[in-house]
Amino acid sequence: MTSRFTTDCEGFHRRDFIKIGAAGLFGLTLPQLLRLESQAKAAESAGGLKPRADAVILLWLGGGPATIDMWDLKPNAPTEIRGEFKSIATSADGVQICEHLSKTAKVCDRVTLVRSLNHTIPSHGPATVFMQTGNKPTPAVQYPVLGSLTTRLMSQQQGVPPFVSFGESRNGNAAGYLGTAYNPFVIEGDGGKAGKGGKANFRVRGIQLPTGFTLDELEDRNKLLNDFDGAFRAADKSGDLVDGLDAFHKKALEILRSDKTKKAFDLTQEKQELRDAYGADGFGQGALAARRLVEAGVRFVTISMGGWDTHGKNFEALSKQRLPQLDQTLSTLIQDLTDRGMLERTIVYCAGEFGRTPKVNKNAGRDHWARSMAVLLAGGGIKRGYAHGATDAQGMAPATEPCTPDDVSSTIFHCLGIDPHTEMQTSTGRPIQLFREGRVIEKLLA
Amino acid sequence: MQAACFTRFGTALFAVTVLTVSAGPVRAEVRLPGGATVQKVDFERHIMGLFGRMGCNSGSCHGSFQGKGGLRLSLFGYDPEKDYIALTHDLEGRRINRADPDASLILLKATGQIEHGGQKRFAKGSWPYQLFREWIVQGAHWNKGSGDIASISINPPEYAFAKAGLSGQLRVEAVFGDGAKEDVTPLCDFRTNDDSVVEVNPLGQLKALRPGDTAVIVSYRGSVTPVRVMAPVESAPGARYPDVPEINFIDHEVFAKLKRLNILPSDLSSDNEFLRRVTIDVNGALPTPQEARDFLADTRPDKRARKIDELLEHPMHAALWATKFCDITGDNTDLLENPQKQRAKLSQMWHDWFRKRIAENMPYDQLVHGVLCATSRDGLSPEEYLKQFKEREEAEDKGWTNAYADRETLDLFWRRQQAVTPDQWGEKTAAAFLGVRVECAQCHKHPFDRWTQVDYRAYANVFAAVSFGISPDAKKVFDDENAERKKKSEPKNQIPPIREIYVGAFSGGKGGNGGALLNPETNKPLAPKALGGPNILVEKGQDPRQALFDWMDASDNPFFARAFANRVWGHYFGVGVVDPVDNFSLANPPSNPKLLDALAKDFLRGKYDIRQLERTILNSRAYQLSSSVNATNRLDRSNYSHSYLRPMMAEVVVDVLNDAVGVKEKFGNDAPPDCRAVEIGASRVNGSVALAFRVFGRPQRTTACDCERSSDPGLTQKLFLMADDTLVNKIKAPDNRLKQLLADHKDDDEALDELFLAALTRLPTNKEREKFTAYRATHKDRRTAFADALWALVNTSEFILNH
Repeated sequence: MTSRFTTDCEGFHRRDFIKIGAAGLFGLTLPQLLRLESQAKAAESAGGLKPRADAVILLWLGGGPATIDMWDLKPNAPTEIRGEFKSIATSADGVQICEHLSKTAKVCDRVTLVRSLNHTIPSHGPATVFMQTGNKPTPAVQYPVLGSLTTRLMSQQQGVPPFVSFGESRNGNAAGYLGTAYNPFVIEGDGGKAGKGGKANFRVRGIQLPTGFTLDELEDRNKLLNDFDGAFRAADKSGDLVDGLDAFHKKALEILRSDKTKKAFDLTQEKQELRDAYGADGFGQGALAARRLVEAGVRFVTISMGGWDTHGKNFEALSKQRLPQLDQTLSTLIQDLTDRGMLERTIVYCAGEFGRTPKVNKNAGRDHWARSMAVLLAGGGIKRGYAHGATDAQGMAPATEPCTPDDVSSTIFHCLGIDPHTEMQTSTGRPIQLFREGRVIEKLLA
Repeated sequence: MQAACFTRFGTALFAVTVLTVSAGPVRAEVRLPGGATVQKVDFERHIMGLFGRMGCNSGSCHGSFQGKGGLRLSLFGYDPEKDYIALTHDLEGRRINRADPDASLILLKATGQIEHGGQKRFAKGSWPYQLFREWIVQGAHWNKGSGDIASISINPPEYAFAKAGLSGQLRVEAVFGDGAKEDVTPLCDFRTNDDSVVEVNPLGQLKALRPGDTAVIVSYRGSVTPVRVMAPVESAPGARYPDVPEINFIDHEVFAKLKRLNILPSDLSSDNEFLRRVTIDVNGALPTPQEARDFLADTRPDKRARKIDELLEHPMHAALWATKFCDITGDNTDLLENPQKQRAKLSQMWHDWFRKRIAENMPYDQLVHGVLCATSRDGLSPEEYLKQFKEREEAEDKGWTNAYADRETLDLFWRRQQAVTPDQWGEKTAAAFLGVRVECAQCHKHPFDRWTQVDYRAYANVFAAVSFGISPDAKKVFDDENAERKKKSEPKNQIPPIREIYVGAFSGGKGGNGGALLNPETNKPLAPKALGGPNILVEKGQDPRQALFDWMDASDNPFFARAFANRVWGHYFGVGVVDPVDNFSLANPPSNPKLLDALAKDFLRGKYDIRQLERTILNSRAYQLSSSVNATNRLDRSNYSHSYLRPMMAEVVVDVLNDAVGVKEKFGNDAPPDCRAVEIGASRVNGSVALAFRVFGRPQRTTACDCERSSDPGLTQKLFLMADDTLVNKIKAPDNRLKQLLADHKDDDEALDELFLAALTRLPTNKEREKFTAYRATHKDRRTAFADALWALVNTSEFILNH
C-alpha cells in the first residue's frame, strides 16, 4: 500500500493506475497477480462510468474497404466517382446504402454508420495500427490494440480467454506497451463444413488440450508433477515467484478443465438454418463462434476478412464476392444478437484501415484513401438507425461532424464504462492516456 | 484500499491547528505542519510547491497539454510565468480575488465549495488553504526567480532504523538562489521505492514496516533527492554475526551491506545447483547428464573456476550475449532496409557482428565505438565500398554467411528503412550505452531526474549530422551504380539503391539531415552536447559522435562503465544494482552504491575486459550462494543474500526445453539452419516457435528500453508448458531423448536418474523415485510412463526458473 496523498483528478495517484482494473486474469503477470485482491477493490471504487456494453465484436475488413461503395454512396456525383453501384433505402429513415448490402439494409434500424471518419495515413501497416489502437502510431510508443486494453481494464470471466482473434494479427505485438501477456489468444482452424452440419474445428492454441491429450491423462500426469515439484519447495526455495507459479498452475488447470471455450466453438449446437444464415465460410462461422464466445464471457473478439485492397476490378470483386459475403454475415450477426437480447450489451464494430479513392482509377479500381471513410457500429449503447456526419459531394473529405479513429475508439470505451482518458503507464513508467486525442462522440450514443 | 489511504493521511495532514482564520485581509503568518512558519508567502517557493505536491500540475490534471476545466498549468511547474499568468490574468482575473480572498475561484474550487473536476483537494482553513489565502492577501505577487533552488539537503541523508516497526521523520531544507534557507518538508512529494519495506506519508514521516532497505524519493518542485532508509533484522539474544568467507571485492561489498542489515547470506550452493545455474546463465543451455556426472565426480578444488572458464569460452556464450546486444541496440528486423526478404539476413549479420566480437573478447569500449561511430564506408573509397557491398549482396543471396562481421563498424545500427530523427537516436544511445532513459524530457523536464528539454535536444543534436544517403564524394560512383540498378529492377524484384551512413555537414539550420533541434526557450539551434557532459564542438569533416565517444570513454564518465557493469551484474543475478538496468536516475538509486562503484572501477582497471568482469562476478561467493533461504534473508530481493529464483530469457526457455526433451527446433526461413534460439538475429521468426517466443516475452526491439523483454511468469506460460501442441508432440516424438535413454537404461531406476539429470541436473529424491515407481505400476507402456515423467519435469518450477 502506497502511502500517498497526491492523487490525480480521478482520485488516484499515477502509480496506482498500474493496479487498477487489472482484475483480468489472462493478462496478468506475476507482480500483478500478487496484488489481485487490492486491484479488484480499487477497480470497484474507481466508480465513474456505468458500462452500457460488456463485449465488442470487431469485424475487420483488411486491406481498406471502398466504403464509398458500401456505406456512403455518391449517387449524384459524376460517373468516375459514383462508381457502378446503386444505393437502396434501408430500415433506418433516410439512410441509404449499397444495393449489394440488401440484407444489412434490413437491420440498419439498429446500427449507426459513421460517415465522417477520417485520418491521414494511407499506408496499410500504420493505418491498421491507428484504427486498431485508436492512437496515431509513433515510433516512441507501441500502442496496444483495443482488445488488449479491454483485457487490461475489464473484469474477466472464469475459464474463458478475454480477448480472442481469428487468425494472427498483422501487428505482431498487438499488446504494445501493455506487454505480451495482453496479446489476444489466436484461434486456429475454420468453421468446418457448415453446410453439412459438420463440426467446427476452431481451437485456441494454448488454452485447450491438444488432440489426443485427454483431461483424465492431464489429471493423472498432474499428480506426478505435484510429486516432482515438492522437493524444490521443501528446500526453502520459496518466494513470490514460486507462489505465483503455483497460483498460475491452479488457474491453468481450471482453464484446461473448463469446457466453456470448447462449447462455444461447438457450432453443431446451433440450428443448421442459423449456421447457413451466417455464411458457410470461415468468416461467417467465425462470427457465429464470436457470438457464442461473447455469450460465454469473452470481452473482445476480432474476426478478419481480407481481400479489400481493390486497386483493380473493385466493382467486380465487391459485387461478386466481398459484399455478398459481408452482407450475409453482418446482417445475420446483428439479427442473431437482437433475437437473443444480446445486442443491448454487445458492440459490433465493422471497419478497415482506411477508405479508397473517391475517383475510380483506370483499372476500375480505387486506391488508398484515408481522408474519408465510413465504419459501422451497432449495439451496446450506440444509437440505432443513425448516420453520423457526411462527406462532401465528391466523397473526398468530411463535410460535417469530422471525427477520427481516436474519437470512435473513445466512444466505444465510453460505452464499455471505461474513461477514454484513463491514464496508463508504459513499462518505462511513462504515463499515457488511453486515447489522448480522442473525444467521445456524444451523438453516437443512444 | 485507496479510500482508506486517503482518509488516513488526509486526517494526519489536515488536522493541523489553524492559527490564523480571520475574516478580513489581515496579514498573518502561516504555520506549516512540522512547526515551520511562513511570514511572506512566495509564489514560486510556496504556491508552486503546493501545485506540485497536490498533483495540480500533473499530466492528468491541469498540467495536461489541454489543461483541465479551463485552467492550464505548466507540467510539473516548469514555467512559473505561465502559471502566474494563468492564475492572476486568465478568466479576467476571477481566479484570484484580492478584495475578498476567500471568494477566490481557485480556493472555492480546490476546497470543493463549488464543483471541481478534481474534487476537494484541501479543506477550508487547512494549512494549504491558509498558504494560498495569505499569498492573495499579501497581494498575489510573483517575484521572478525567487524559487530558484541552489541546493536541497535532507536530514538525515540516510535513515537507519534500529529495527523494523519504528517511525521517523525526514526534514527537507531548501537553499534558494538568494541564500535564504527554508524548511520545505510539507511542500515536498515523498515516494517510497518499496512500500513493503518503508512507508512514507506526505509530511515526510517514515515507518519501517519490515527489515530491509529501500530508497525514499523526495521531490521539491522538480528537484529530486533519494534517501536510503534501512531497518536491520533483529537478532536472537546473544547471537553473533558469523564471519563469511570472501573470494573477491564483490563479496566484500555485498557482505558488508548484508552485515549492516543483519541479514545472513545463504550457504554456498551445491555442485548440482551451481552447475545448472552457471550453464544456463553463461550458455543458455542445460548441462548434459554426462557433463553433470563429470562435474560432480571432479575432485579438484578449483573445478568451479575451471567450469566458468570453459563456459565463457563456449560459442553459445558469445551467441547469448550477441542476443542481448541485439536487444540493447534494437535489432528489429521489420525496421531494416528493403528488400523485405533480405531483412532477416541483415538482422543475422547484426547478431553475427556482435557475436564475433564477444567471442574475441573485444574490450567493451571498442565494441561500443564500432556501433556509436559507425559509417558504411569505414574509410573505404566509394569504389572499394561498392565492391565490398556487392560481394556481400551475392553472399546474402546464397546463404547465411558473409563477411559483414569482419567490418570495423556496425552501420546496420543506423541503416533503417524509415528515417530516424536525432532525438530518437539520442534516446536509443542514452538507454543503450549510458543506461539513462531520457524520453520524458522530449516534452518537459523529466519529473524524476535532472534532464531538461535543453539537455535532451542538445544531446540529440550530436546525431543531427548522421545521414543515410549518398555523401558528396561518393555521388558520382553511387549514382552511376544506382542508374544501372534501376534499369535492372523489375516490378516484382526491386533492387534497392546503394546508400551509405555518413556524417554530413552540421548545418545548424532547422529540419532534415544536418538540421539541429532548437532551444525551446530561444528557438535557436542548440549546440551538440553530451548528456550531462561538455559541449561538443563540431568542425567541418569531424564526426561529433567521436567526441561523444571520447567523453563516454573517459575514466571519470559517470555512466558508461557503470551502466555496462550493472547490465552484466543484472544478467547474472537477475536484479541489477540499479534495476531496471537501463534506468539510472535520481529516483532510482543503486541498492548498493559501493558495490556498483567497485564493479565499475574494476571494469575500468581491466580496460573494459568484459570476460574478466564476468569471471570476477561468477567466481564470487555471492554468485555461488544457494537459492535456499534462511529466516533472515527470505524477503531480500535487492541485496544478493541468496541466489534469486529468476525467469529465463525466452530464447533460453526454448533452448533448454529442447535440451531437456532432446529435440532440435526448426526456426523456419528467417533463421540460419540448425541453430539454437540464442543464435538467431531476426526479431521475428515464423513457425510454431513464434508463440513460445511471444509467450515467454522475447522483445520486438522497437523501443529503446530493456523493459521490452517481459519474462515475468504469466498464465499463458503455464498453459503453454502444460498444453501447447508443439511441446506435447515433442515429448511424444519417437526420436527424442527418451528413445536413446530407454534403450541405454533398461532399468527403470537408472532411466529415471538419467531423465532427472537431463532436466534438473540432479538425481531424484527417494520420495520422487517411489512416486514414479507407483506411477509406472499403473502405466504399462514404459515409453508412455517416461514421457509423462518428462512432461511433469518440464512443468515444475524447478525446471522453468533459474536458481
